[in-house]
Amino acid sequence: NSESSRQALRELLFTTPGFEKRCAGVILYEETLFQTCVDGTPFVELLVSKNILPGIKVDKGVVAIPGCEDRGETTTAGLDGLEERCATYYQKGARFAKWRGVLTVGKNGKGPSERCLALNCDALANYAAICQKNGLVPIVEPEILTDGDHDIAVSQAVTTVVLQRVFESLNKAGVLLEGMVLKPNMVTSGVDCLKKADAATVAKLTVETLRRTVPPSVPGILFLSGGQTEDEATSHLNLMNKNSPLTNPWTLSFSYGRALQATVLKTWGGKSENVQAAQAALFERADANGKASLGEL
Amino acid sequence: ASLKLAHLVTIAAMIGTPGKGITACDEGPGTIGDRFEAVGVVNTEENRRAYRQVLFESEGANEFLSAAILDPETLYQKSSSNGEAFPKVLMARGIVPGVKPHLKIFALPGQNGATVMQGLDSLAVRCAEYKAAGCEFAKWRSPLEIDVANGQPSDLTIETNMRDLARYALICQSQGLVPIVEPDIALKGTHDLETAVRVNVKVQSELFHQMNLHGVYMEGAVLKSNMVNPGKDCPVSYTVEEIAEANLQVFRRCFPTAMTTANFLSGGQSLEDASARLDAINKRKGRKDPWNLSFSWSAAVQMPLFQLCKGKDGLQLEAIGALYVAELAIASAAALGTHTRKGTEGDHKGRGGLFGGKK
Repeated sequence: NSESSRQALRELLFTTPGFEKRCAGVILYEETLFQTCVDGTPFVELLVSKNILPGIKVDKGVVAIPGCEDRGETTTAGLDGLEERCATYYQKGARFAKWRGVLTVGKNGKGPSERCLALNCDALANYAAICQKNGLVPIVEPEILTDGDHDIAVSQAVTTVVLQRVFESLNKAGVLLEGMVLKPNMVTSGVDCLKKADAATVAKLTVETLRRTVPPSVPGILFLSGGQTEDEATSHLNLMNKNSPLTNPWTLSFSYGRALQATVLKTWGGKSENVQAAQAALFERADANGKASLGEL
Repeated sequence: ASLKLAHLVTIAAMIGTPGKGITACDEGPGTIGDRFEAVGVVNTEENRRAYRQVLFESEGANEFLSAAILDPETLYQKSSSNGEAFPKVLMARGIVPGVKPHLKIFALPGQNGATVMQGLDSLAVRCAEYKAAGCEFAKWRSPLEIDVANGQPSDLTIETNMRDLARYALICQSQGLVPIVEPDIALKGTHDLETAVRVNVKVQSELFHQMNLHGVYMEGAVLKSNMVNPGKDCPVSYTVEEIAEANLQVFRRCFPTAMTTANFLSGGQSLEDASARLDAINKRKGRKDPWNLSFSWSAAVQMPLFQLCKGKDGLQLEAIGALYVAELAIASAAALGTHTRKGTEGDHKGRGGLFGGKK
């Protein structure tokens, strides 16, 4: 793990032939925003030349909430100085940002504490307002972890509470819904659940939850993959778009990290002779997910 | 439990049948009595019964009606055609019967006249009675007013009213009735369309937030909201297209797509204006607007019917029936986006300030 190997990975990803057919945007880390290809072309320039929007992760990671340590609850840091950083990132070519809040289903599936909800949703809303003020589209990511043995009904209940609190906070902060993107978790069984729900149920309950809480003004809902395997993440997305009996007012698509790159990383192994094969693996995943976002698999 | 939820969904879908709407006949004996007396008709129980019978049984009415909201008195009255109680008569004609439970209005202290509705106590018991009488839904109206100078509707006014609407909705569903939730922001005022949009988004967002929080089954609930309009005395003019866009914008910003139909109240608009606006809304509907958008009208449809009785001897039932069905046909066309308005019906003509009516 060195700066040069991180650079090499990203160059591998961004120069993948056909990448631009399935990827509309890339979320970058600050370091990457300022990096270049081996030939000196800035990554941002390369992406823009392919009509891929550069985005930037702007949060500074999770911190424990004082008084909620026993619950393992966190809030996300990064609001201080965000305004100035946004201006810098915009100047560098970023056109959207991302901020990740992390929540859990709580003790006995009772959901996050009121404090955790308030701090995370307020932070997300403040971040979103600051971004929009500085010309960056905010991706709002309230991730509810799958840690636990709870069944899918618990995930649905907690996701409902969290999402509608997110939108309440966004409304109070005057965030323009038409100019943001939601990046939620899917509604799934807990990772240690003994009776896991099948893919069709995941798709059905996820869409049901979104239809109850996400206003149509939001143009797109781009799921995080959480701990899902590449195949699971693709299959769930496909079923959501295929099986929906009613037309959804927002697009349902992907914002995947691990679920796009797991095979890529394994194939590459850090060796330049594996680059082509790794790129083929990336395109395969991106293409499958692109088709899944249209329900075409 | 899932059978109960499925039933709610079925009823909500019937209420939201495209091209059909709700006839709101839920005025209490006092209110309908005022309307009768204004045109010289005596307020007797038989007159109230006979008048409602026309609204339910007129030839062709059920082509345009998906549901009817009744006053509790009417639930137990019978048709003279076949001796059946009205809920049964309506259901047999494909018109879902529902009820407006008795509510009392109460002023919120310190809120410049803003109110809250009272009636949650014993609501579950009453809902069970209404269900036994053949009702499949109930309606609860929370009136609000925009008074910018006095900061109304305030956060407190909104939260109190919307929380009660959510609790009412939950109680209804527990008794097998689909709740129609009616946040009614009055036409009264001088505020512009942008202010109306902002306040409507605030009020409705709070409503759906409370409904989700209380665990109301959204797929088995129906919205009956005011149309988004500039204040009645707003000096700025707006076209019917601008008004239609404002209505869709509000819904896009907060109306969950899990709810499948919104049936607008008329709230003092004439039939012509309400229909022109509903029609414009439906003509503009797109991918972002998956709901059925229709009508739930009382005054707009019924006031012209009372006028037919003025200077005559008693209720003119035949004339009432004919005009009523003709009006419903217009409402239905508006709900389908196939209506043609006359002239500038639906536009808001501002009387203008110093510089005239256009912004």
